[in-house]
Amino acid sequence: MVKYDDEGSLLRPLRALSFLTKPAITEPLVPRPAAEGYRGFHLNEHQRCVGCSSCQKICDNAAITMIEVSELANDKLNGIRNLRPAIDYGRCCWCALCVDICPTGSLSLSKEYVHTCTQEDIDSYFMMPGEVGMHGTFVGKGWQKSETSDLLDLQRKPMGERPAAQRIDSFDEIVNGFSAQQAEAEASRCVQCGMCHDACPTGMDAPEYIRSIFEGELEQAVRWIYQTNPFSHVCGRVCTHRCEDACSIGVRGTPLAIRWLKRYAMDHVSHQRVLQITQEQKPSHLSARKIAVVGAGPAGLTAAWDLSRMGHQVVVFEARKNPGGMPRYGIPEYRLPYEMLDRDIEVITAMGVEIRCGVEIGSEITVDQLHQEYDAVVLAIGLHLGRSTRIPGSDHEHVKKAVDLLRQVTDEGSIEVPQEVVVIGGGNVAMDIARTVARMQKQQWGEVRTVVTALEDQENFLADPEEVREAAEEGVLICPSRGPQACVIENGQLQSLKTWGVCSIFDESGRFAPHFDENDEQCHAAGMVIEAIGQMADSEILLGDEITERLEWNRGRLQIDENCRTSESWLWAAGDCVNGPDVVHAVADGHRVASSIDEVLKHA
Amino acid sequence: MRAENYQAINHPPSHAFELNFGPNHPGIEGNYALQVKVEGDTVVQAHADGGYLHRGFEKLMEQRLWIQNIALVPRICVPDPSPMEVCYSMAVEQIADIEVPERAQWVRVLQLELSRIAAHLFTFGGHAATTGMYSPMFWGVADRDLILDLFEEFTGGRVYSIYNLPGGVRRELPEGFLQRVSKMMDYIESRLQDYDDLFFANRVFVRRAKGVGVLQQAEALEMGVTGPNLRATGLPFDVRRDDPYLVYEQLDFEVPVEEAGDAWARTLVRRAELVESLKIVRQVVKALPDIGGALRSEIPNPLAWNVPAGESYARVESSKGELGYYVVSDGGEKPWRVHVRGPSSMHAVQVLESLVTGGRIEDVAQTMFSLDACPPEVDR
Amino acid sequence: MREGDSDKRERLQQAKSLAEVLEVAILFEEAAANFYQLQLERVSKPLRWLLESLVDEERQHSAKLQALRDDPVFEEQLETRIEVSPVDPQFSDAIQIQALDEIVDDQAILQYALGREQLAMDQYRKLAEMTEEGVIQQLFQWLADEELHHKGYLERRYYELVHRGGGASSRYDF
Repeated sequence: MVKYDDEGSLLRPLRALSFLTKPAITEPLVPRPAAEGYRGFHLNEHQRCVGCSSCQKICDNAAITMIEVSELANDKLNGIRNLRPAIDYGRCCWCALCVDICPTGSLSLSKEYVHTCTQEDIDSYFMMPGEVGMHGTFVGKGWQKSETSDLLDLQRKPMGERPAAQRIDSFDEIVNGFSAQQAEAEASRCVQCGMCHDACPTGMDAPEYIRSIFEGELEQAVRWIYQTNPFSHVCGRVCTHRCEDACSIGVRGTPLAIRWLKRYAMDHVSHQRVLQITQEQKPSHLSARKIAVVGAGPAGLTAAWDLSRMGHQVVVFEARKNPGGMPRYGIPEYRLPYEMLDRDIEVITAMGVEIRCGVEIGSEITVDQLHQEYDAVVLAIGLHLGRSTRIPGSDHEHVKKAVDLLRQVTDEGSIEVPQEVVVIGGGNVAMDIARTVARMQKQQWGEVRTVVTALEDQENFLADPEEVREAAEEGVLICPSRGPQACVIENGQLQSLKTWGVCSIFDESGRFAPHFDENDEQCHAAGMVIEAIGQMADSEILLGDEITERLEWNRGRLQIDENCRTSESWLWAAGDCVNGPDVVHAVADGHRVASSIDEVLKHA
Repeated sequence: MRAENYQAINHPPSHAFELNFGPNHPGIEGNYALQVKVEGDTVVQAHADGGYLHRGFEKLMEQRLWIQNIALVPRICVPDPSPMEVCYSMAVEQIADIEVPERAQWVRVLQLELSRIAAHLFTFGGHAATTGMYSPMFWGVADRDLILDLFEEFTGGRVYSIYNLPGGVRRELPEGFLQRVSKMMDYIESRLQDYDDLFFANRVFVRRAKGVGVLQQAEALEMGVTGPNLRATGLPFDVRRDDPYLVYEQLDFEVPVEEAGDAWARTLVRRAELVESLKIVRQVVKALPDIGGALRSEIPNPLAWNVPAGESYARVESSKGELGYYVVSDGGEKPWRVHVRGPSSMHAVQVLESLVTGGRIEDVAQTMFSLDACPPEVDR
Repeated sequence: MREGDSDKRERLQQAKSLAEVLEVAILFEEAAANFYQLQLERVSKPLRWLLESLVDEERQHSAKLQALRDDPVFEEQLETRIEVSPVDPQFSDAIQIQALDEIVDDQAILQYALGREQLAMDQYRKLAEMTEEGVIQQLFQWLADEELHHKGYLERRYYELVHRGGGASSRYDF
């Protein structure tokens, strides 16, 4: 407590003499070094930064502008933009929220804090931070993102899936899907950077539908989804998700489950409502043009959907009993239930597209006839033939092609499988057939004895890692680094598949150059060998000799321009048959074809 | 007119001058216009005219995401920003039902008490300057600067910490920080004798401050005055004691009161509070190493965070009184309304006017500083 | 190296100088190029690219040998040109076919080409074994290595054409 004595004392002032002994404090003229963790001017590692603009979004003073730097890489598929943040220090308040939200961790604040200039140089307060600092000298890193300060939720919300023991003997869909709470939580992780949109071949409005899901506006989400993709029940299940590969959150964490979110939105709006919503796009008038599409797969039907909405009449010719293409005939039901594919197709036919199934173009009707009767023809026949290894014994009747068997399963519901089956190949089709056969073995024999052999080693498997993991869980034995040599046949019976070990698979330049070890020979017992190594199409048979001769070809495939138009002015080609197997790329092709045809017919 | 009907008319004194204290004036805390009418040296009328520091915070906060506001709120009270951060976060935590981990609560107390010490040092300095004593002013600002060094170390910013967010605090304390805090408390304590000699127990000052700007308890309560100003009238009301928050219930500290209600009483209350704050900080420094745990609770991605609909009022004891945040959420990603009860709003306007009226002109500035009337939080 | 195998082998064995060996090798390459050229008329349009590229490759190989034959310092450089040959990759051994009677598809063409390269390589290897140590033996070894490299190149193309379908990635360089 303060001792106040109004009288005071004569000696009191003498206490001040103690100040004579105190050292003087001299402040240096140069700026003193700031503390660790100080919030000074920005630093940005340009090679780590991906230009996602999250910093711009969180800044509460609108101090950040994203500027294009043309020397930097712009790689849409890997989620890298050549934009980098520039800071206006007239607005910045150095709160470091930008640092804490940065998904890649490239942004930080330095310990540098002094900048002065004359009026002429006033623009120097607006600068693009690099790695060194505002004045070219690195003063040291100050505030950096730490585990405590990080504002992002880097881990994906887990989505349930039925355990292997439960799912092995049926073809029911194995994923549970998101609940409303899970979907909202997962959708809230999005920073709306749009890398997914850039990476998707169809340019899907993913940030928008994710936002709609977060807001609980599922019908709005469906509207957004239908802007770019009429195959969203399909893509929400089996798409190759380029979007997730490009997701900014995926740089340090697990990417947003963009595909499962799409599935969530599509599943939770009733089919009736989806039909109503999509019918809003019905054209107001018709064009009196007719277009023939050969193949009712994603490419063909997407083109048909677009053209129909543009007012043209479209007839789709499908050789198989049912429409759907590879999604129906190649992808097993436990990944993609037929019912969901049917929903996607029904939306398209409700728009006025006519699908004629069971009609084989090339035999009953020729492409030339289509050329005569229709204003344009689209070839979207997919890659529905399987390749064969052609090793000795591969012409035995019990050596099958995966695509053939998958088609048979779709048409007939089931096939007879022997107790032991060996699959050759390590891609998604191999996984599909292996897991399909495993289920049938469980149903028919009570036990799974399916083996998958692939040239590639475990790290370089062509199939999705989830597929491989799920296959292993279901009892499929995966044997990487095995090279098929022959199908062993004794007394006309298929006994086994002989394989040699693969010691190395790629050469120094990364190209395929396998070396076998003859001494590492295994015979995998098999009552059936299934080849799932590659696919092809038989376009020339379908087109006929004359048209085949007239057309330009590019390395065995139809030559197309950037609008998917062939060298014949009336013929377009799209999807797997020209661009390789990928469902979302096929959808994107369908869009391209439709807008190209529409453009051409407008001026015809 | 007949003489018997003549009534002398009592005109207001024609020699009354109207003077502007402020808005830019060394005798004014912040930017504030105090228009005084003086007759000779006596103030006969005063009119407080705020608004010069109105920056539109409450409206701005409605247009920012919940997380973006943490960068705005410290600026509402310039000398004592930390309570603003903590109080805003507390209000949001109440609405969104977010628990703050124990360690974070202790760190928040540390931040608040350091801020209180720094704010009081600043106020002493200012008050001394209004009585013409500039050495305590330089001392106050210089010693406060040393505390700002501490803030720079653990929050990254000297004045505006921007250290709190709903859920906790943003960063762990640096290595060896608590030792440096301890040393600083020792240093400040060692300075108190010098401060007493030069300022608090200095006859020059005491004679200036005694009896000046007397605030009666009844008037204080009627006008909603809180903080040291109220405690200087004899009422020991302190939010830390009467409506405890964070970990104040676990801490041992006094709530000092004085009875006289004048400028000196208020100064003494603040000086005593500073000593109590030193005590609290020492307790926190002792306890913190044994308290582990996270420094904040998880909140959703701030770009997609809807705080559930609801409203709440959170209050803390800032250096100037009861600081309150009344926050209303409509379930969206931005606040629907934020109202800040700046404690100075209560004593910087009518109370200030009434206290300077009847006093002398040289005491106008002193009264304002003795009330620690902080215009930024009046106007916002 | 099908038509008149033994005839060619005799000629090679009798060759005395490097230039003579190279002459025969060049003829082999030209014969192969002509063979592929002839097949062009038998296939449908989509397959011609493959045959045309094989014609090109054989002609390029021939040109390379011609340049060597005309290069006066080749003999000196021969030793440094021979690389240590790696373990033979046997990827394609099981599927090579001997004759291209009926061209079914692109896979069959490559199967045939691989077989052709294999045989050529074997021939040169055998010649190297049968020849005394010296520059000619080194040249046979070098020619065998050349065929080995070409075989490896064709195997890579075979893998990409036949085995890369049905995978997750759709970035193909067919």
